[in-house]
This record gives sequence, C-alpha cells and structure tokens, in this order.
Amino acid sequence: MEALTVNPTRLSAPMGAMLAFLGVKHCMPLIHGAQGCASFSKVFFTRHFHDPIPVQTTALSDISAVLGGGDEIVTEAIGNILAKVTPDLVGLISTGLTETKGDDLRSIAAALTQKSVWVSTPDYIGGLQSGWAAATEALITQLVQPCMSVTQKVAILPHASMTPIEVEDLKALVESFGFEAVALPDLSESMDGHLGEKQATMTQGGVSIQAISQLGESCAVVAIGRSMLSAARLLAAKNPAMKTIALDHIGGLGATDRLIGELMALSSDDRSDRAVPASVKRWRARLQDMLLDSHFTLGKARIVLALEADQAVSIAALLSEAGAKCTLITPTDEGGYEKSSLSPFRVGDLWDVEQIKEPWDLIICGSHGEALAHRMGRKHLEMGFPQWERLGGQLESAQLYHGSARFLATVANKIAH
Amino acid sequence: MLTAPKELLNESACDHHTNKKTACNRPTPGATTGGCAFEGAQISLFPYAEAAHIVHGPITCLGASWETRATPTSFSGRDLTQVGLTTAISENDVIFGGEKRLSASIDEAMHTFNPKAIFIYSTCVTALIGDDIDAICREKAQQYGLPIVPVHAPGFIGSKNFGSRLAGEAVLEHLIGTLEPESTAPYEINLIGEYNVTGDMWRYLPVLEKIGIKVRATLSGDGRIDAIRTAHRAGLNVIVCAQSLVTLTRKMQERYGIPWVSVSFYGQRDTSEAIRTIVRAFGDAALIDRAEAVITEEEAKLSKQLEPIRTRLAGKKAVLNTGGNKAWSFASALQDIGLKVVATAVGKSTEADRAKAREYLGEEGVLMTKPAVEQPKVIADTQADILLAGGRSLYTALKKKIAFVDVNQEKKVSYGGYDGLVAFGEDVIAALDNPVFKVANREAPWRH
Repeated sequence: MEALTVNPTRLSAPMGAMLAFLGVKHCMPLIHGAQGCASFSKVFFTRHFHDPIPVQTTALSDISAVLGGGDEIVTEAIGNILAKVTPDLVGLISTGLTETKGDDLRSIAAALTQKSVWVSTPDYIGGLQSGWAAATEALITQLVQPCMSVTQKVAILPHASMTPIEVEDLKALVESFGFEAVALPDLSESMDGHLGEKQATMTQGGVSIQAISQLGESCAVVAIGRSMLSAARLLAAKNPAMKTIALDHIGGLGATDRLIGELMALSSDDRSDRAVPASVKRWRARLQDMLLDSHFTLGKARIVLALEADQAVSIAALLSEAGAKCTLITPTDEGGYEKSSLSPFRVGDLWDVEQIKEPWDLIICGSHGEALAHRMGRKHLEMGFPQWERLGGQLESAQLYHGSARFLATVANKIAH
Repeated sequence: MLTAPKELLNESACDHHTNKKTACNRPTPGATTGGCAFEGAQISLFPYAEAAHIVHGPITCLGASWETRATPTSFSGRDLTQVGLTTAISENDVIFGGEKRLSASIDEAMHTFNPKAIFIYSTCVTALIGDDIDAICREKAQQYGLPIVPVHAPGFIGSKNFGSRLAGEAVLEHLIGTLEPESTAPYEINLIGEYNVTGDMWRYLPVLEKIGIKVRATLSGDGRIDAIRTAHRAGLNVIVCAQSLVTLTRKMQERYGIPWVSVSFYGQRDTSEAIRTIVRAFGDAALIDRAEAVITEEEAKLSKQLEPIRTRLAGKKAVLNTGGNKAWSFASALQDIGLKVVATAVGKSTEADRAKAREYLGEEGVLMTKPAVEQPKVIADTQADILLAGGRSLYTALKKKIAFVDVNQEKKVSYGGYDGLVAFGEDVIAALDNPVFKVANREAPWRH
C-alpha cells in the first residue's frame, strides 16, 4: 500500500491534545471543528477509560461558520459552556477543518475573557502523542511563569501513553527522594477510573492551573519519551537553574537504574545509596529475579509491538532485557527512533503487521489487534489505545522496577498458556 | 458540496419538518453531544461487508471510528465493514489536493480486496479543499466496471441524522435501480435503516419468513450490493427506527411506486405491530391471516418465556433516560417485561415521539425534557427501583441507591424482536439482583 492506510493504529493530534487537557483540573477541552471531531473522540475515550469524558465542540455546521474567521463561534461556544459549568481553563483545540480554513486561534484566544490555552493540531499532521505533546507545550508556553530560583519541586512530563497509574508511580518515586512532584499533564487523578461525581461536566482531577503556572520554580524537569523533549526544553527555558532529565523511557532494569541515578544525583552530591528507599531496592531485586524467571519463555518469543512510538520503545526495551525479539510498528515517529532502534522499527498500520514475513507469537497493541490476531492464529495482549474490551488498563504499569517485573510475568504467562 | 441541500433539510415526509427544534437543524456550539454527518453516513453504509469503504480525509475521521460498531454479516468473504480504509491525507495533500492519493487508494483497494463496490466518503477537509470526488468515482467505476459511490456527507454539513439521509441519497442515485433481479417473489420488502447491530435483524427475520415475507434488500444490515441495486423491484419499503431515511423511501415511491411504512422491532407490542403494519401494506387477506396466526403463536411462546420474568418484575418501577424514538420504543419493551415505566426522557425526541411516549406512559407518566436535572427528583418522587440510562447517569443511580442498566449495552447484546425481550428481561433482573449498587455506595469507614 502506497496511498491507502489500512487498519490504522494512528490516532489524531486533536485527540492527543484533548487527552492532555483531560489531565488538567477543572478543564473543558473545546475542539474547534465539526461536531464529529469531538464526538468520535469522546466515544473513543469513554469506551477506553470506561468513564464519562468531558469535551465540547464548536460544531461548525454551515457555510457561514466554515467561511467565517471562527472568533464568533468560539465565543458563542464558550458562552454556552459557561451557562452550565465554570471551568478554570478551556483547552482550545484546532482541527484539520479549522486549520485549512485558516482560523487564527492565537488571536481568538487572546480576545477571550475566559481563561484558555490554545493549541494548533491539524489532524493531517502527527498523531496522538504529538498532539499530546503540543498541548503540553502550549500549557507551558501560555501558563508557566518565568522564575530565577528553584525549590524542591520536580516537574514530570509523561508521554501520551503513560497510564494514570504509571504517572502516579513516577510521582511517588520522585517524592520518595524528598521532592515535590508535579506531573503535566496529570491523568493519575482524573482518568484513573475512580468513582466521582459530575465527571462528565468537566475534569474533576488533574494538575491545577495554579500548579502549572508555578512549574518554573522546579529544580528539574523529568521528561519521558522523545515526544516530550521539546516541552522539556520550553519548560527549562523558563528558569536557567532548572536541570533537564530527558529519558526515552523508563521501562526495564537499565532505564529505571538510569532514572534512579539521576534522582540520586539530584538529591545529594555524594551519591550515597541512603537516598534510595528500601522498597525501591526490594523491587529492583524482584525485577532481577523476574528477568531470570521469564527469560526461558521470553527468550524464544517473537513479539510485535503496534503502539505509539514512545510506548513501543519502552516495552521493547523491557522485553528485550529478557531476550524477547521485538518488531516495532508505530503510527508515527516524530522522535526519530527508527534510526536508533536496535529492534526492527518502522512506521505503519496493522496492514503492515499482516505483511510481516518472519513468524511471530504475540502482538501487543490496542483493541484492533484482536481481530488480526484471531485471523492469523496468534496471541494478542491489549495495551495502548484503545482498550475497549479490557478493564483495568488505567491501573496497570509496565514501567519502573515493579511495573516492569509484573509486566514481564503478564507477557510470559500470555505466551506460555 | 459546502452547503446542505435545502430540499433535504426540509423533508416533507418527515413529521417534524415544521418544527424548528429538530435533529436536522444547526447544532449549538459548546452544547452539542451528537455525531456529525460523516458518522451518520458511516453508520448507514458501513454494514455492506462486501464493499470497500474509503474515508477520504485526515486520520481523525476513521482512526477513532473503525471497528466501533458490531454489525454482523453472513457474507463469507473478508468482512470489509471491519477493515479501516482511509487516505489519511497529509499536509501536502491539503496544499496540492488529495485527488491523486484518492485515485491511487481506489486502485490499491481494488487490487487488495476485490470488493463488490467502493464507497468514497468525503470529509470536512477534502470537501473544503475541493477535491473532485465525483469525477474520480466516475472514472474509476468505468475502469473497474463496478459501482464506486461518492458519499458527500462532510462533518460540518450537519448532524448524524442528516448524514444518514445523505447516505440514502448516494445509494438512491448510484445503486438502486442499476440492476434487474433474476426473479422476484410476491411479498418482498426492503429493510431501510436496519443495520443489524448485534444481530438484531436476525431475531425477527425468521418470523417474517414464516409468514411468507421475503427481504429483497437492506440498507444496510447484512446487506449485499447486488441486492440493493435491485431494491426498486421490492413491493414495500420498511423503515426500521430511522426517521432520517424517509427522504429515500419517499423518492423511491415517486420514482418506482414503492409504498413505505415505518416500524420498530423493540419489544413484543412493537414487533407484532410492525408485522401487522407490513402485511396490511400488502393488503392480501391470506397474508394477513397467516401473520395473525404467527403473531398469536409467537406471542404465546414468548408469554410463556416471559412469565417468570414478569412475576419477578411485577410492581417494579423504572425510569428511562435515552433519546429519540427510544423514549417510547424502549418504554414499550420495558412494559412488555412487566415493569411500570414512571418516567422517560424526551429531550431529544420529536413531537410525534413525545406524543407516542405520552400514549405509552399514560397521564401520570413523567416526560423529562431536561433529564440530567430532573432525574434525581423523579427517582425520589416515584420511588423507582431501577434506572435505565447511558453510563454518565450511573452516579445518579448510586446516589439514589437503585439498580442501574446501561442502555448502551444493547450495542453488545441484541434486544431486538420477540426473543430479544427475554435477553433484556434477564439483564434487568440481573441488575436488580446485583448487590453491587449498594456495596459500591457503602459509606467509607472514615466517614462514620
């Protein structure tokens, strides 16, 4: 296939931006486009998280709206949102339609009385993780106050595919070294699948806009995934004293060791191991043991990863540590992993997975992998986006020592049985 | 096409065309939940499993929506309904036009999947940049000798319902009447707007067959392209819960003299009523007699199956919060399994649907126009036992300590026809019996 995309795993940049705004407290994502852009995304994430999703649309619907500049309809939409709820922030998201007709969200947002952050995400460029990154960059550029001094605060910039629990675990790890951790965006308190009231009206959890504005006083920014690198640079530019810790991923023993090393260096100069909590050390030993226990099965396993690039690279690194042979097929590769990847790596869709000549045992990807695995008589582990048929994805981790250990067991069990 | 054709916006056969507050009108910015026209077209046409469905637009339109609807098919080849095909246009295509990519995509789809037809869906961006989709479809149809149908329902042109209507237009202009059947039977119908979601259609088709009614074509559940091309030879169009497709049936009446009726197959009363409506339209006394005999037989069989369910549900009160014609069609099904429906939501219903809801619920029944606000109070006032609504109402049910059935689960389980009622009844009982709604709402130990 040259022209046609068949069975895409790629999702759009506006969806990524919307997901990012779901990690901001009391926020209403507003997609500036036809109503389908919002409704498809809403249904998609509702089924993924098994929870109501707040999002609104400017619902462009006729010739005047299409040919107008967009300012009137955005103002009208916000007026109608405010009639029902009072969000702290409106996340203004562009789409292919409004970018093509040339609406200038920057000036539209500047004229609004409602607090808002705008992000440019034409859906013919990039995908979920780049849209998420773009929204994070917009939040930083438009909300974070510049600062000259630092506190014990560490800013965490998770990539789009990190689950709410993975974000929470990383925050907890950073805090166990004596820092205050703030994640941007933070899905751990909004999309973690907790029972709460009024979830559909606007986000009830997430990072507050006040906390975002004060991120400039962080002593370090920890960015996970190459898609978040540019957001990390923008944040670091707010304070010359801020240290940047940019990691491709934190999956597996080596990567987690590297992160722990960075946190040790950040917390004390003498690299004393007293800084490392006992439970972290214990989980490292468990991961070592699990690597050895699982290598009999995983060492012979051939696994296809059809996930967002940042997540695919993380999972591949972890499984490779136990000897698994991974093939990565990702929807986009803005970070340029293809050049540096030790495993076979290419940008493609699930049609490309069907065309893989070499035999494989298991595909790790979203719900769309199920039919493919069934048709080809292979196994499928549901991960990434979407997880329509599987419960509890938001509570699972494949990162750091403990998430890595558990995930190795999950994959080995899946292959063995 | 950048504007909605006026003629289609003001459908004369549509009973709410004089009322301004309808689904055909402009959605409110900042206060809209429904899908766009493209989604409506997709819902209406994707069930044709032997046709390739190419979405000509950026990745959003298909990326988030393929493989989302379970519309099973008996087609033995690869089910193309569940194969996501899109041109996924790039920035370059937006600048220089997406026609080349579309043309090449059609070639690739032809060579890879060998479909019976190809539907090309325009979307907001490709409509705006002015790709000449009609010309490409004409050229490729000639080249390959099969129908390649342009579907002009870009999202900004209107709501989901309106997109369904536009899909009907495309089928009328490009498929219906383009093939003559080898043979016809006396009582043939087209099922219009029946998408066989979760196999709904298969629940009632055997009953129709027993009476002697044959399905010539469907739009589009378990549908076949050759069949819909001969749809002009059917004796009757039967619209199944799809107001948006009356334009199609009206035009087919004008063009081919085929009368149409509108029915629902939810619940016992609606299913029986649907059968009667169909046979009366044919007007054959013997057929009507046969139908009555089958209805009597089916209702007796169902009554026996429903007896334990009705006994269990007797005296239980239900609040229903769903949309459109479901306000009454679902209410009817609930009454059939022995529940008393004390309230239903009519916020998104047409005047006719509201009238029907009133008829089904009786004078004391509550018709909620703002269910999100009214629901808790209505539950308290009526002392309802169960709430049937979309997922976002779950919290209301928990707060009020009553059982909850997610009405959207019908997307996974079929509740259609006579048999469907038993499955539905069992699900309602399972909800009422489940302790989870009380357990999940237990007071936390630190709040005592």
